[in-house]
Amino acid sequence: MVVKRRTAFIVALSAAAVVALILWKPTVLIYGLQAAGLYAAVAIPMGLVLGIVHIVNLAHGEFMMVASYAAYFGCRALGMDPLLAIVPTAIVTAVFGWIMFQLTIRRALKAPELNQLILTFGLAIAFTQSINLIFTSQTYKMPLDYVSASMDIGDLTFGTWSFVFVAVAIIFAYGLQLFLTKTTTGKAALAVGQNPRGAAIVGIDVYRTYGLVFALALALVGAMGALFLTKSAIFPSVGSPFTMKSFCLIAMAGIGNIPGILGASVLLGVAENFLRAFRPTRDWAEIVFFVLIIVVILARSLKGRKS
Amino acid sequence: MNRNVSRIFAAFFGVLAITLPLFAGDYPLQVARNIMLYMALAITWDMLLRSGQISFGIAGLFGLGAYAAILGVIRAGMPAWLSILFAAVFSGVAAFLIGLLILRLRAMYFSIVTLALGEIFRIIVHNLHDFTGGPEGVVIQQGVIFGGNANKLYWLALVGLAVALAASTWFEKSKIHFALTAIRDNEISAKSSGIDIFRWLLLAFVVTSAIQGFLGGIFVQSYGFATPDTVFSADFTLLPLAMALLGGVYSTTGPVFGALLLGLVSEWLKLKIPYGHLVVYGIIIIIVILFMPQGLKQLVRRDAGKTEGRNA
Amino acid sequence: MKRMMLALAVLAILAGSAYAQGTIKIGGIWTLADITGKQGSAAAQLAVDEINAAGGVLGKKLELIVVDDEGKADKAAAAVEKLATVDKVDVFVGGMASGAELGKIPAFKKYGKVVMSTGAAGSATVEKALGPSPESDFYFHLHPWDYNQGASYAEGWNAIQQKYPNIQIKKIFLAYEEGAFGKSSWDATKVLFGGDNRYIVDGASFKSALLGGGDYTAVLEAAKAFKPDLFLWAGYDADALPLLEQSKAMKFSPGIYLGAPPGWPIGFGSSKLSRNVMLYGMWSTAMNDNNPASAKFYKNYVAKYKEEPATYFAPLAYSAVYILVDGIKAAGTTETAPLVKALEATKYASPLGETITFKPSNIIKHQGITRQKILQWQDGFQEVIWPFEAATAAPVYPFPAWK
Repeated sequence: MVVKRRTAFIVALSAAAVVALILWKPTVLIYGLQAAGLYAAVAIPMGLVLGIVHIVNLAHGEFMMVASYAAYFGCRALGMDPLLAIVPTAIVTAVFGWIMFQLTIRRALKAPELNQLILTFGLAIAFTQSINLIFTSQTYKMPLDYVSASMDIGDLTFGTWSFVFVAVAIIFAYGLQLFLTKTTTGKAALAVGQNPRGAAIVGIDVYRTYGLVFALALALVGAMGALFLTKSAIFPSVGSPFTMKSFCLIAMAGIGNIPGILGASVLLGVAENFLRAFRPTRDWAEIVFFVLIIVVILARSLKGRKS
Repeated sequence: MNRNVSRIFAAFFGVLAITLPLFAGDYPLQVARNIMLYMALAITWDMLLRSGQISFGIAGLFGLGAYAAILGVIRAGMPAWLSILFAAVFSGVAAFLIGLLILRLRAMYFSIVTLALGEIFRIIVHNLHDFTGGPEGVVIQQGVIFGGNANKLYWLALVGLAVALAASTWFEKSKIHFALTAIRDNEISAKSSGIDIFRWLLLAFVVTSAIQGFLGGIFVQSYGFATPDTVFSADFTLLPLAMALLGGVYSTTGPVFGALLLGLVSEWLKLKIPYGHLVVYGIIIIIVILFMPQGLKQLVRRDAGKTEGRNA
Repeated sequence: MKRMMLALAVLAILAGSAYAQGTIKIGGIWTLADITGKQGSAAAQLAVDEINAAGGVLGKKLELIVVDDEGKADKAAAAVEKLATVDKVDVFVGGMASGAELGKIPAFKKYGKVVMSTGAAGSATVEKALGPSPESDFYFHLHPWDYNQGASYAEGWNAIQQKYPNIQIKKIFLAYEEGAFGKSSWDATKVLFGGDNRYIVDGASFKSALLGGGDYTAVLEAAKAFKPDLFLWAGYDADALPLLEQSKAMKFSPGIYLGAPPGWPIGFGSSKLSRNVMLYGMWSTAMNDNNPASAKFYKNYVAKYKEEPATYFAPLAYSAVYILVDGIKAAGTTETAPLVKALEATKYASPLGETITFKPSNIIKHQGITRQKILQWQDGFQEVIWPFEAATAAPVYPFPAWK
């Protein structure tokens, strides 16, 4: 009963905060959500890999970067819109991811756990530098009209295109949730994630499941790679910052908690944009990301110890 | 490997390291300095790892020490040598205070928090323009320590490495070794056998962080400047980590071999393949870790064949 | 077998020393993974090839030895040491980012050989680390310092407003990337435009996409609220189009929309959004029409490498080699003291559209280029607007409002 009352209190409080924010600084909420959508959509596939295969994929952002380059040149060659490239890029990236998994990561899973870190670090360097060698450090950006779509409400004019990332993040999170709880493969994957030895005993092919989950995550990364072309220019190091950000979000949500990544992203996105909206605090917006992560992790560990 | 053989090896490398300036030119000395810096960082990372705690905060503490040293000179007029010691103390005290808060965290959560703290240090330095010089950085007006004398700079870097080696050996040979190993292997049984886990972790964290700060101090004094992008560079976290893992973890020799391998390979490749050497560098890391899962130590220690990975 | 090896080795040494007697060696240090360094080193090699084809210098062949600095201070220091002690180069060229340049300076000072620097605009660190004359006299800084650039823009906008009375600027907003590049632009702009009461200056920082940012909403909100006549952004090529797209989405259209990245993304000119965007720069292909040195450089570069020079660092590095060689010819040697003296008399008609000479700057004695150019994207090409003597087109004003 106490817990329920507290939850109700928190919900009421956040609702009040949202209403206040809408009335006072609507752009904070708009841009905060848009930023959160992008953060979450990139982080969710990494969260899936971390939650089930238990590897910190330091090449996560680089996989997205490679997918973006593939999508860009595919689109340019065929005169195609990047939105049409989402599904093909997802498939190609999934296959690429599956091959990479079989060639490298699978072998590292049998080695001491830390080896996966260094292996994926090596992959990240190899990807970034190969792309740099082929396409140079110059940036490429697809000129698209619809990304400047905008909306007027009173005096307020803002871009609407980036809301697409919010939608994608929600689809990713709940799609994966459905997959993991409703389908046989998904349930097997969840079982492997929770207890690989137990899963092996009941006859689940653990390495096959790992490979599938990795490929599935890479399909999402590939889809994001194509969609990313609408938002950003691409260049060899464009993916690396996303690896760290995603890792932070996952830790904040708690490993294995995929819908939690949505909440963590919204909190960080809105908080960052809130600080950016005021002159004295705007240079400190970036710090809030890291401070919040530490606070949440420490608070959770304290709570965990008490109970 | 036979204990005596390894002693002879250690003595050989020790003598080689000390006498290098007598016969090597300035270029090999400069490369050796770069390698020794990363080697020392790799050793300190490994020292904490022996307790099972994976730190991603090397760059943060290194950068903190670097800025403590340079601001000590610029704002407080410290002599160069004192600023290096001040860097060690500053990072050590910072680590003590932080450690009280975060050393109860385990596994990935500890790693993330150390990473986030490093970023916080960087942003603070970045934003306090008037005091730290901001994103553009600061330079020491009187220039590099020892007037840029290559031999003395080499010996200074060697001192940094020697401190890391000495601390690591102390960790290996003393009671600390058993405490840290026990924590890593099984925390609960370690606790029940009376080991004060938190105290040992705090000791390891403070000692390694102080050395990282010390190395940061040596770095700024050797180049005469600091910018946030340079001293908080992710390279100072990722490369030592890669070196320790490639060499083989939980020992002093592993990071030493790993740093030698990656340091020499990267310098050599750079000269052989000016455009694209980093691709080869990445591939070498992948290949070494795939075929030598225990690191280079595997080459010398045959008994290290056992894997600790998942056997599903 | 052994004897043959020995003979070969002796031969190699003899050949090596004979070769060494007949060459003048230039040590080049750039960040080769970056397009500026990749093309800068290529352009320097082009200059070396041209000079050798024309008979070399002082009867000797010219040789360029390039070492990567990876953009890191420690690797950059090792590169200087390698070139100075192993290759025994006579002079140095190169440089781009200030962080790597700072790593080189202690080693440069140790050897005291002439350096023709193509980069590093950060006066607060690089110029300070070099120190005053005479200890820094070996260092010839071709690239303008941040305050040179700022002063040059102030001069340019004054001139433009005088010549084109329909262009009137009162309020200036600077969106600057939060790193060293953007921050130094902001410092210079505040002082040089905000100093007297002629302009009202405001600004805000953003995190460049190149460094992991790419969210421009907050900075554009601040700019929009300020209602500037001139909106300037100091960031990187990765920011160019996303900034414009976001500006369009927010219907932010200042009278002058001006960018100051070191380079522009591939195909920027083909985007509709690029129309009438102004830019700061040193060089553009449009200069081929009215500057023979530009045309010659461009033609030879494209012929040799089958690609366009993407940034001004290519013609800058090319110029650096020619200036060095002219100096060596005049001095008759690569010895520092006479070479410095000869270089002080440099008058080089560069492909950057101006005659380069060396004058003292705030701290050092040998500063090359001080003037930047104001250009505008017109029909997919960068046209020079100012300085008027190099102009290739008249400005189109104002920046069109978004539809």
